[in-house]
Amino acid sequence: MRNNFLEIVRKVDILFIGCAFLLLAPVLTVQRTNDFIIFCIFVLAYNLLYGFMGRLSFGHMLYFGVGAYASALTAEHLSANPFAAIAVALVAGAGTGILLGPITVRTTGACFALINLAFNQVGYFLALIALAKWTGGEDGMAAFFDNIWIFDLGNRYVVFGFSLLCLLLVVYIMKRLTSSSFGILLRTIKENETRAKFLGYNTFRYKLAAFVISTTLSAFAGALSIINYTYVTPSFIDTTRNVEVIFASLIGGSASIYGSLVGGISYMIISNYLPKYIQRWEMFLGVALLLLVFRFRSGLWGYISETVEKYALKGARE
Amino acid sequence: MREKVILETQNLSKQFGGFVAVEKVNYKLFEGETAGIIGPNGAGKSTFFNLLTGLFPPTEGKILFFNQDITSTQAEHRVELGLVRTFQLVSVFDSLSVIDNLILAVTRFSPIFTNKFRFFFRDAHIKNITERAKEALNRVGLADKSHILTSELSYGDKRKLEIAMALALNPKVLLLDEPFAGLSDVEIKELLNLLHKVKKSLTLIIIEHKISRIVDLVTRLSVMHEGRIIAEGNPKDVLCNETVRRVYWGGESCSVDGITDSSDRRRRP
Ligand SMILES: Nc1ncnc2c1ncn2[C@@H]1O[C@H](COP(=O)(O)OP(=O)(O)OP(=O)(O)O)[C@@H](O)[C@H]1O
Ligand SMILES: [Mg+2]
Repeated sequence: MRNNFLEIVRKVDILFIGCAFLLLAPVLTVQRTNDFIIFCIFVLAYNLLYGFMGRLSFGHMLYFGVGAYASALTAEHLSANPFAAIAVALVAGAGTGILLGPITVRTTGACFALINLAFNQVGYFLALIALAKWTGGEDGMAAFFDNIWIFDLGNRYVVFGFSLLCLLLVVYIMKRLTSSSFGILLRTIKENETRAKFLGYNTFRYKLAAFVISTTLSAFAGALSIINYTYVTPSFIDTTRNVEVIFASLIGGSASIYGSLVGGISYMIISNYLPKYIQRWEMFLGVALLLLVFRFRSGLWGYISETVEKYALKGARE
Repeated sequence: MREKVILETQNLSKQFGGFVAVEKVNYKLFEGETAGIIGPNGAGKSTFFNLLTGLFPPTEGKILFFNQDITSTQAEHRVELGLVRTFQLVSVFDSLSVIDNLILAVTRFSPIFTNKFRFFFRDAHIKNITERAKEALNRVGLADKSHILTSELSYGDKRKLEIAMALALNPKVLLLDEPFAGLSDVEIKELLNLLHKVKKSLTLIIIEHKISRIVDLVTRLSVMHEGRIIAEGNPKDVLCNETVRRVYWGGESCSVDGITDSSDRRRRP
């Protein structure tokens, strides 16, 4: 009975997630909810590597930034069609992944985290200084898009609706990727990569695939945020902002799609509203992190689902 | 029947720092046989398996599998060629359900593995695959535990799961590193029954400490000592071999029962 109920919930979860964001919009404003949506895409992309494959990156803003700059540069030099900008961003994200992946995925642990950070630093430097002629350096650059068909990007409701559809698409893709054989393989790589090799899997190949998917989806989030903001600055590729996505993963629970979404929303609520009440709100984040690490290892979502399960079991027994 | 050599090592050696763990081993495995390797703690038995299966490269020497030099072949490729192993300390995926452990093994040599779209995007639990996974679990008596989280299995059950995973990979040669360690007497009997069954369809190498257990199972026994194979042949003859008796048991008796457990001084899981 309970299992059936969960099955049904799982089947319509995309609908449910869509409704949740539609309900959030009037509460938080459309503009803000849109930020939340885009951030959630980024968290999902991040957790394919971190939550599912167990590789913690300190440099994922690079891939987000690559998408952001790629779409802005496309708008400026190639085509003002927003879909062209997104397409170029996806190609740029995938390209970056294919280029850097063979180096990064050979490593694990601190090394993986720091190599990504190092590449992120290089990207930040390029955007800020070396390529300032094109990127506008510190000032960044504006991106103007044409309206295509019903996509009137001046209308924030349209932008919101489009972003939401994109999120639901990413959730769908992630669901498929994580429930497939590939998804199981990623979990085995997280737990014991050597053992996975002894099941006959060339783990390097699948790690690379996961990495490229992650960078591509990160770039997708970057491109969507440019469509949302219509400008890009080096803060879109700033290494220090990696904290945000790591935090979101820890809050929600990284090894789960729902956890990523809960984490993304929770982090955004904290970072958007807490500063209004507490000036040095980062301290609160620090305390929250400590709590999470020591008390809620599997994040809010993990905690919620464990509790629900416990009560459901109790109920079933009685 | 014992004509064809399918696995062969030539002067295979492994050093860790200055320490020689495996020294110039020339080993031949014949198709269809069930070979046993015994030897005291630290003799280099597991290291020998690690070399055969590609966990690390040898310092020296060659490994031939079906006359193909696989000395520098990646571990996963050796599995593809049909060389499959289990580990001395049980190695399964605790974070997955029991059935998911098997699903990966079953999927590896199914059409799903070759069809990348299906591998990446289709639900792993399709009927055909789960049925085969359940069958494999059934063979080791774990069918009723298929949806339990693996971390909740007993050590003995994990051992069985690992063997089921290995068998699900359809090996040509299966290497079992102390498969009976940590099992209860009843479980040992069940596993022996299973091995007696599967040994008809594949080639087996078994490392074991308690010789009495495998004397009836193996057709050939090799004794390792300080990295070398010091005796080889029919199990009963080997046990009565003088050098073996001296270095391994230090005893006189060459009856199987008299020498069972004397050298097993290790921690047990
Ligand atoms: N990765 C390693 N690094 C360093 N030394 C190692 C390594 N693996 C094994 N050794 C050493 O090589 C020797 C042989 O070890 P091995 O595990 O092969 O013995 P074994 O015959 O399997 O013994 P046991 O019956 O205890 O399993 C031991 O002295 C061990 O300490
Ligand atoms: Mg050993």
